[in-house]
Amino acid sequence: MQAALVPFQEAYATGLAQPVADFLSPVPPPHDPGRLYDFFRASNDDRITGDVKNAFKYNKRTRMSQKETDAWVDIISGYWRAVKQIIRADEAANQGRVGSELYLAEYDAWKDVTSSFIKHISGGALPAWAIFTLYFTANHLRRIAIRADEQLAKGKPSTSTNSFSDDIVPQAARSEKLEEAARVFNRVFALCLGDRNPDMSESRKWGVYCIANLQFKTYFKLKAISLSKNVVKSIQAQSDLPPFELYPRAHRVTYKYYTGVLAFLQEDYAKAEKDLQEAWDLCYARSLKNKSLILTYLIPCRLITQHAIPSAALLAETPTLASLIGPLVSCIKKGDLTGFDKALADGEPEFVKRRIFLTLERSRDIALRNLLRKVYLAAGYDDLKEGQIEKDRIRKSRIPLIHFATALRMGIAGAGSGLTVEDDEVECLLANQIYKGLMKGYISREHAMVVLNKKGAFPGTGV
Amino acid sequence: MSLPTVTAAWPRPMQPPAYNAVTPRTTLQPAHPLATAPSDKGAVNSKPKKVEWPPAVRDYVRRAFDPANAIEGISSTDMQAKLKETISFFAERGAQETNDWPNHPLPQQILQNEQRLAAFHLANSASPFNSNGHANILSFSPAKKRKSQDGEELATQQAQASIPPWRKTNLESRMTFAEGHSEKRQKKSNAAGDAFSKFDQADLDKRRQRFNLGNNGTKTTPPWASPRREEDEMTNAPVVGTNQSLEKSYFRLTAPPKPETVRPLPVLEKTLAMLRQKWKTEKNYNYICNQFKSLRQDLTVQHIKTAFTVKVYEIHARISLEKGDLGEYNQCQTQLKALYAQGLEGKPAEFKAYRILYIVYTCNKSDMNDMLAELTLADKQHPWIKHALDVRSALALGNYHKFFKLYLVALNMGSYLMDMFIERERLNALANISRGYANVTLRFLTDELGFENDDSCREFLESHGAQTIIEQKADESNRMQYRVKIREAAALFESLRAAAFRKVDIKGQI
Repeated sequence: MQAALVPFQEAYATGLAQPVADFLSPVPPPHDPGRLYDFFRASNDDRITGDVKNAFKYNKRTRMSQKETDAWVDIISGYWRAVKQIIRADEAANQGRVGSELYLAEYDAWKDVTSSFIKHISGGALPAWAIFTLYFTANHLRRIAIRADEQLAKGKPSTSTNSFSDDIVPQAARSEKLEEAARVFNRVFALCLGDRNPDMSESRKWGVYCIANLQFKTYFKLKAISLSKNVVKSIQAQSDLPPFELYPRAHRVTYKYYTGVLAFLQEDYAKAEKDLQEAWDLCYARSLKNKSLILTYLIPCRLITQHAIPSAALLAETPTLASLIGPLVSCIKKGDLTGFDKALADGEPEFVKRRIFLTLERSRDIALRNLLRKVYLAAGYDDLKEGQIEKDRIRKSRIPLIHFATALRMGIAGAGSGLTVEDDEVECLLANQIYKGLMKGYISREHAMVVLNKKGAFPGTGV
Repeated sequence: MSLPTVTAAWPRPMQPPAYNAVTPRTTLQPAHPLATAPSDKGAVNSKPKKVEWPPAVRDYVRRAFDPANAIEGISSTDMQAKLKETISFFAERGAQETNDWPNHPLPQQILQNEQRLAAFHLANSASPFNSNGHANILSFSPAKKRKSQDGEELATQQAQASIPPWRKTNLESRMTFAEGHSEKRQKKSNAAGDAFSKFDQADLDKRRQRFNLGNNGTKTTPPWASPRREEDEMTNAPVVGTNQSLEKSYFRLTAPPKPETVRPLPVLEKTLAMLRQKWKTEKNYNYICNQFKSLRQDLTVQHIKTAFTVKVYEIHARISLEKGDLGEYNQCQTQLKALYAQGLEGKPAEFKAYRILYIVYTCNKSDMNDMLAELTLADKQHPWIKHALDVRSALALGNYHKFFKLYLVALNMGSYLMDMFIERERLNALANISRGYANVTLRFLTDELGFENDDSCREFLESHGAQTIIEQKADESNRMQYRVKIREAAALFESLRAAAFRKVDIKGQI
């Protein structure tokens, strides 16, 4: 055991969270695939606590208080028990035996490790950086929980039809373990947020955002997104956190991304744009996946707030997004309503999955605006009056309703879909554009005309 | 939030119903004298303060000081202060003899519970799941309550309840779930402890265990909101009913039902037939709703989940739709969704369409997203569902013309649901029109906004304070017609529209 703990002592000596977390990892490092097994073989069920204790006792390299030693002994013995379960589950899987109970045992053992971490940190036994080691442990717990849930779901494929005990028909508990893990994360979060240590350099408050991100991730996975709001609220209510800019960039990008998405889902597009933009600006330039994730929400956001479509160059950076949103964007640009509807319908499953469908749908207004603008441009200029020169010519501002109606019908007629656009509906769509400020003017029913402003009939488009 | 069991079942002084809206008390602070005073009717037998403590109290004090009962982290000074507070609380009310001291939680336990609560509040970290793992996502705030949850029907029955639970507010009925007899409440304000003694130690232990599961103050659901688990424990085996009467009033269960109060399936089938007949002839909604709730309860306690169950929920859902009782409707809808998911026969398409319209009404975008994710390709082509989807997309795109046309051809009970938001959408359309046109004929509005005739359109405008913009004019062929100077009321309609969208009254969510 003494030898097996040497890496721990080395990691501990660095005084950094990551090396210690690497030691306490449920997956062996790539350069040493047998590490977990070796560690497991260094002791056995009866002796483990004593072994670790002894190893600590005779180790002269690191000095720690008795209290801290006890804490690490507890954590490392818990880790050993977890490793045992991991190895058992792995072996079973290798032999083709599948059993959810092994994965559950693995989950439970890992949860114990996390819990003893929480216990000792809140007891003040561990150094300040241990909160980040706990973060890594908790993140592993999340993965292990997801895997355990998958196994559970495989174990009983059908919704138990005999669980008739409730009037509210019990939904299949698909993510029982992850839900449980979410409660553990909640405790960790409270542990960070509630730290009263006045010495900021020692404070657990530095862990607030990374744990919050872990919670967001879990809640999104659990489809319990609204719970994330509580986390945000708790953070906002906490007045004595260190300045946001001082947190590690990785924490900030992820946090801003999630708050942006949350605002997006609550249709607060102004805030969403701000947060997502911040995340985008901070995001590591070569982290393609993260950039694509941010853009997934930032682009629809911009469509709503600024009526801006992404440049081709930007879309080209993220191929998946380009294939997803690209067709839609080009239809908006062209003012091709039929194409837009089709692209929207084609992408619907994916859009719905990413929760951007209802927002993208609203950008049809811009496609429509672009089409109407074309009609306006096609109408040309008023005849020159006396004394007027070519440069001062004014575009025709009175456009017959029928012109707009024809434009709207063009796409549909070709499709032969049996759809029609009635005259009143054309008026309705025009009124809508005017109401939303995309077009300036008014409709005159008596003359069947649309009277557009002489200047800035389509604000923001240069005409 | 793990609200401590003991405090929840605490004999707190019951206040007269008028005061029941206050937030649930979790501590044993003496009640505000003003609050109790009106109900006292001299029942505080104005005993002179005793110096001689009853033996039960003395034993209680002894136990409080017993080192075996000490709880780590709670100092003895705190404990003593609490002890004093506890005893004087009952002494002030002359109730120290009536209180069930042997079962009363010790002061250190009370303190511990309070600490947990405080820890919870500090973290303000609501935990997602109530006790049985249901993520009650949409209503995790205890303030947003359903009118009454089916789940609780089982958990709490009160045979002698004099006020039917559905008449009480939800919170109130939850808080007082242990004792339904509200006429006794006033007496209870003095003789507290009466309710408490109803729980025997075993029950209390059970409760304690249950609520201490997540021992760390991370549970959000207060005990009165999550009785499901309770009922899981209580009614694992189905009841087989023996009651033969067709009618039965609904009461919330507080204990496993007795077989003689439950009607077996054949009787229930007759009951349903009778209720349908009665609804047709009498149209007495209160009666019908009550009967349906007891019918549903009987099905539930007997674990009957068949096409018949679906039928009951469907009919109840339709009736509540007809009466615009969205709370009740939503309960049925939630049940139906789950029942259909189990592959039971029914009319899933019809109710999916309703659900879409319901979500349109509530304007809940994330629900709508979930709904869309759930629909299959076949669903989307079904005419009923397609109609609902068209309604959704028409509104999303601001196409009020199309929306009002769809309103006029609503299918099944869809028009009842659409009635819930038709006024709102009319105001929305008027806000649009008032910006897009200078003036229009009344007939145009009648047609565009789906009114039956000019008069009802005019009435609508007038009832919204727009009478001044309607004028009579002769058209080219000298026929008189009403014209509406719509532009002048733009600001009015805009503010009405904004107000209408602000107050979406969500009575319970899926």
